[in-house]
Amino acid sequence: MELNEVFIVGANRTPQAKAGTELKDVPVPHLGINLVRKLIGDNSIPTDKVDEVIFGNTGAPAKYTNIGRIIALESGLHKKTSAHTVHRNCASGMEAIYQGQLKIAAGEADVVVVGGIESMSQMPLIYSKEMTNLFAKLMRARSVGDKLKIISSFRPPYLSPVIAIEQGLTDPFCGLNMGQTAEILSREFDITRDMQDTFALESHKKALQAIEEGRFEAEIAPVLVGKNLDKIMNKDSGPRVDCSLEKLQKLKPYFDRKTGSVTVGNACPITDGGSAMLLASKQAVEKYNLSPLGKLTRVDFAGLEPERMGMGPLVAIDKVLSKTGMEISDFDIVEINEAFAAQVIAVQHALDDLSEAKRFGVEKAWGKISDDKLNVNGGGIALGHPVGSTGCRIAVTAIHELIRRQGKYALASLCIGGGQGGACIIERI
Amino acid sequence: MDTKYIDFKLTDNILYLGFGKETKKSMTVLDEPTLTELKTVLDEATRIQNDLKAVIFYSLKKNVFLAGADISLIDSLTEESEASEGAAKGQELYNIIEDLSATTIACVDGPCLGGGLELALSCDHIICSDSSKTVLGLPEVKLGILPGFGGTYRLPKKVGLPNSLDMILSGKMLSPRKAKKLGLVVDSYPKEKLLDAARIILNQKIKDKSSFSESLQSFAMENALGRKIVFQKARESVLKLTKGQYEAPLKILDLMEKHTGSSRSTYLRKEAESFGELCVGAQSKNLRHIFFMMEQSKKSPFENIKSKTLKSGAVLGAGTMGGGIAWLMADNGMPTIMKDLNNEALELGYKQASSNFRQSLKRKKITQEGFQKKQRLIIGQTDYKGFGNVDLIIEAIIENMDIKKSVFSELEKNVDEKCLITSNTSSLSINEMSKALEKPDRFAGLHFFNPVNKMPLVEIIKHDNVSDETLASLHQWVVKSKKTPVIVGDGPGFLVNRILMPYLNEAGYLLTEGVSIKDLDDACLKFGMPMGPCRLLDEIGIDVADKVAQIMFEGLGDRAKDSGQAKSMIEKNFLGKKTGKGFYLYDEKGKVQGINPEVEQMLPTSKTMDRKEIQMRVVLPMINEACYILDEKIVNSADQVDLGLIFGIGFPPFRGGLCKYADEEGLDRLYTAINGFSESISKDRYSASPFFTSLVKEKKKFYDL
Repeated sequence: MELNEVFIVGANRTPQAKAGTELKDVPVPHLGINLVRKLIGDNSIPTDKVDEVIFGNTGAPAKYTNIGRIIALESGLHKKTSAHTVHRNCASGMEAIYQGQLKIAAGEADVVVVGGIESMSQMPLIYSKEMTNLFAKLMRARSVGDKLKIISSFRPPYLSPVIAIEQGLTDPFCGLNMGQTAEILSREFDITRDMQDTFALESHKKALQAIEEGRFEAEIAPVLVGKNLDKIMNKDSGPRVDCSLEKLQKLKPYFDRKTGSVTVGNACPITDGGSAMLLASKQAVEKYNLSPLGKLTRVDFAGLEPERMGMGPLVAIDKVLSKTGMEISDFDIVEINEAFAAQVIAVQHALDDLSEAKRFGVEKAWGKISDDKLNVNGGGIALGHPVGSTGCRIAVTAIHELIRRQGKYALASLCIGGGQGGACIIERI
Repeated sequence: MDTKYIDFKLTDNILYLGFGKETKKSMTVLDEPTLTELKTVLDEATRIQNDLKAVIFYSLKKNVFLAGADISLIDSLTEESEASEGAAKGQELYNIIEDLSATTIACVDGPCLGGGLELALSCDHIICSDSSKTVLGLPEVKLGILPGFGGTYRLPKKVGLPNSLDMILSGKMLSPRKAKKLGLVVDSYPKEKLLDAARIILNQKIKDKSSFSESLQSFAMENALGRKIVFQKARESVLKLTKGQYEAPLKILDLMEKHTGSSRSTYLRKEAESFGELCVGAQSKNLRHIFFMMEQSKKSPFENIKSKTLKSGAVLGAGTMGGGIAWLMADNGMPTIMKDLNNEALELGYKQASSNFRQSLKRKKITQEGFQKKQRLIIGQTDYKGFGNVDLIIEAIIENMDIKKSVFSELEKNVDEKCLITSNTSSLSINEMSKALEKPDRFAGLHFFNPVNKMPLVEIIKHDNVSDETLASLHQWVVKSKKTPVIVGDGPGFLVNRILMPYLNEAGYLLTEGVSIKDLDDACLKFGMPMGPCRLLDEIGIDVADKVAQIMFEGLGDRAKDSGQAKSMIEKNFLGKKTGKGFYLYDEKGKVQGINPEVEQMLPTSKTMDRKEIQMRVVLPMINEACYILDEKIVNSADQVDLGLIFGIGFPPFRGGLCKYADEEGLDRLYTAINGFSESISKDRYSASPFFTSLVKEKKKFYDL
C-alpha cells in the first residue's frame, strides 16, 4: 500500500514548570486547549475541518475521562470532531504523534491535532485498599446497624493515602522505581556520580542559554497564571541560574542512599506542561494553503527489559534507523529525553559500542552522537518531564531547532517506563 | 369545548387547560382575548367542578408558560378607575381558580412572570421544569407598577413575607432551583415529564416541610412587631437604592404593610386601587416607554438584510477599554485574541478582564471553573497570528488618527475579506478612519462606554461607505452580547458624548460662577442623574475630558467652548480618580473621601443658586444639543436619543429620557427659559437651535416627529 506523506504544519508547547509551582492550578485540559486553538487559528483551518484530536496523558484527575475529547470541545472545534486519549506512559505524547501519522498515512484523515499534557501537580491521591473496601461495604450496607458495624471497623492508618505519582513511577513487573533502573545502568556502564552531575549542569546551562537567546519563543504558547489569571507565563521555570557542580555534588543519592549515584539533581523533576502538533495530508496542505514546517518521516517503538528501561532510546533508534536506512550522521539535531543523566550517557555509550549494544539485541554500532547535536537546548533535567507530554514536546523542540539551524533531519527519542523506547524522525522542507 | 387560545381537554376527570394554543407570537402573554377566554373556560370548570379531580394549567408552547400581562394592554389604560377595574377583573378570574373545589396545579416550563406567576400562585401547587429557560418572578416594579392580579396577596402565603418583599420589590426572577428552595414550587422535573409529575402529585399528600427556622419566621410574621421590623428594613433598603425617586416600590410597601392580614376581598380591592394609581402615573408610563424602546432596539433595523454571525473576536490594544471589550467577548463565550505591543501591556488587559470576572464571581454569576474557562478564552499576543480566523475586530488603541489609520491598513492585510473591522474611538471621525481601508464597507465605529461590564449602551457608528450587512451583523452581535445597541451617524462625540458635553461644560461654568461642588453635584443627583458632573469628570479623568472637549469645540464651535476650569486642575495633576485627587479625594480602593479642599480653594467664593436653576442650567443645553443631533440626523428619532442617554450615561429612567422629559416639561416653557439664559448668561451657549425654534413654532413635541 502506498502511504501518504504526513506534514507537520505547526508545533507548539506550553512553558514547563516544576510540579507544585506556577502551573499547579491550571485545570489540566487548559494545558492543551489554547495550544489547539493556536494551531487551528494560526493556520486558519476551519473549526469543523479537524478529523481527529489525539492527546497523550497518564494521570489526569478522574473527572477528565478521555481528556482528548474535552480539549477538542473546549478549544472550539466542531462537536462532530472525533477525539481520543492515548497512554504509552512516558511516550504518550509520541504515541499521539504516531496515531496521527498512521491515520494520515493510511488516508483515513487529512487534518489531525496530536499532543500530550500532564499536570503532575494534580495527580490524585488515592485511598488505601482498606479504606476503599470500607467505602464499598458501607455503600452496600442496608440497615443503620450494618452501617455502624462497618464504620466501627475503621482504623486510622486506613487514611494514609497512596500517592498515584509514586505508584506510577514504580514498575509493577520488576518492582523497581524508575530511579532504581537508572542506578542499575550507572553501575553496569560504570557511569560515575561526577559524570552524571556534569551532564546535569550542562543541561541547565544549555537551557538557560536557549531561554536567554529566545530560542523557545517560536514554540512556546504562553499560559495565564496567578490567582487572578492576569500573569503571562511564557518561559520555562525549571532551569536554574544558581545550578553549580558544587551544589549538585552536595545532594544525597535519592534511590540508593548508601552506594547510589542518582540524585534529584541529575534526574528530571516531576513537571507540568503540554505540547501539540498539527499534522496534515498533502491534500489538506494544498486545500488550506498551509506552509508546513516539516514532514514526519517515521515513528517507532521497541521494547526491552523493564529494569533497564533507560536504554529504550537505543532499541528504538536502532529500529527507526534500520527501517529507514538512515545513519546517525544524517541528523542535524538529536533530542533524547533526559529522564536520568545516567540513562542518556548509557544510551550514547551503547550506540557507539557494539558489545554493549548487543546486550540489548542491537546488532550494529550506530556511532556517536556529537555533543553539538544532542539536546542542544537542554533537556528534561533542566526543563522537566511532564510524562504525558514529553514524547511530543521533544519533537516540537526538535523541529524548531531544525528550522533554526536550517538542517535537514531531526531525531527525537525517549525511554519509557515499563521497558520501551520511542523514536521519531522529522524532515525539514 | 371549542376554544381558540386556551386548549380545553377533559381526560379521566382531570381538566387540562393549555396556554399558547394557536398564537403566532413567540411568547405567550395574557392579552385581552386570552383573558376573555380564560373566563369562559373557568366558568365551565366551575360548572363541572363536582366531577373534576383536578385542573392542570400548562403550556402547549415549548419554553414559555406565561410571560405576563400584555404590556400594550396596560398601556391602553388611561384612567385610574379603568386601570383599577382591569386589575379587579383579573383578580376575579384568579379567585375563581383559587375557589375551585378540585385540586389545581400549574405546570410551568419557561418564563412564568407577572400575571403568569400570579395565575400559578392562585393554584394549590406549582411545579416547574428544570430547564434553564424556566424563570419565575414578579417584575412589575421594573415597569413602575405592582402585581395587580393578587400577587402581593398570595406570594407571602407561599414563600413568607421577607422573601416575597425581596421578590416583589426587586422584580428578580428565580431559577427552578431557587424557586424550590423558597417553597414557591413543589419540585422541578424534566420538561417532557411535567404532566406526568402533576398526576403523581395529585395522588400524594404534599407535606408541609417547614423547618424550625421557617416556623420561627412565620411566628415572627404573625405578630405586629416582627412585621414592623421586616417592613422597616425593606423600606430602608428601597430608599437607599432608589433615593426615594421611584414610586412603585414605596407604594408596594405601603400596600403590603397596611393591609397584610386583611380579608381577601378587602386586600385585593386595595391592591387594585394601588395598581390603578401607579399604572396611569407618569413614572410607570416612562418606564414602560423604556421597556418598549429596549425591545425595539433588539430588533434588527435591517429586516431584509442577512446578518453574519460573529463567532470569534480580536481586540487591538489592551488598555482599560481593550481589556473590558476582551472581557465582554470572552464572557459571551467568544474565542478572543487580545493584541498589544508587549507582555506588560497585555497583562494590563488581562487584569481588567480578570477584575470584571471576579466581580461576577463575587455576585455568584459565574463559577470558579467558568472564570478559568472564560479568562483563558482570551489569548494575548503581539503579532497577527490567528487573525485569519477572526470574524470581528475591535480597535481600542490610542486616540490618534494617523496611528489608527496605519494600524487599519496593516491589519487589513492580515484578515479574511469577510472580517468586520471596527473602532472603539470616542471622539475621532469614523468617516476619516474608513479611508484607511481598502474595503471600507466592512468597517464601522463600535463605541463602548467605560466600564464595559457596567454600561449597557454600544453606539454603532455609520460612515459613507458602510454596508447594511456590516451594520446588521454588528447590531445582532451587540444584542447577543447582552448590550443595548443604537445606530448613529458620524460626528463629534457621536450621540451620547455630544449631549454629555454641555452637561460637563456647563458644570465648569457654574463652578467658576461660584456655585459650590457640593451644591452642583447634589442638584444633579436630585434630578436623578447617577453622578453629579464633578464626580463624573473625576471618573472620566479631567485630562481625558479636556481632550474630548477640545475636539468637540473644534467640531461644534463656540457653543461647545469649555470654561477653562480643567486646565488649572490638570496643572496640579488633579486628574480625578486615577490620581487619587480630582474634584474629590479618593482612597487606594477608589472610594470617595470627600471634596478636594485644594480645588475648592481654586474656585471663587461660594454663591448659592436655586437647585432648580442649576438643573436648568445643565439640562437645557443638553436638550438644545439633542435638537442639533436630530436636525443633523445623527439619529432619526427622539427615542433613540433617550435610549442612548439612559443606557449610556444613566439619564434618570423614571423621566423616560431627555426628550421625553422635555416633552413633559413643555417645549415652549423650556424655550422661554433657554432664551432667558441666552440673554443673562451666554449667547453662545444658550442660543436655541433652529430646530428647537421650529419645534416650538409648530407646537410640536419631540415624540411627534
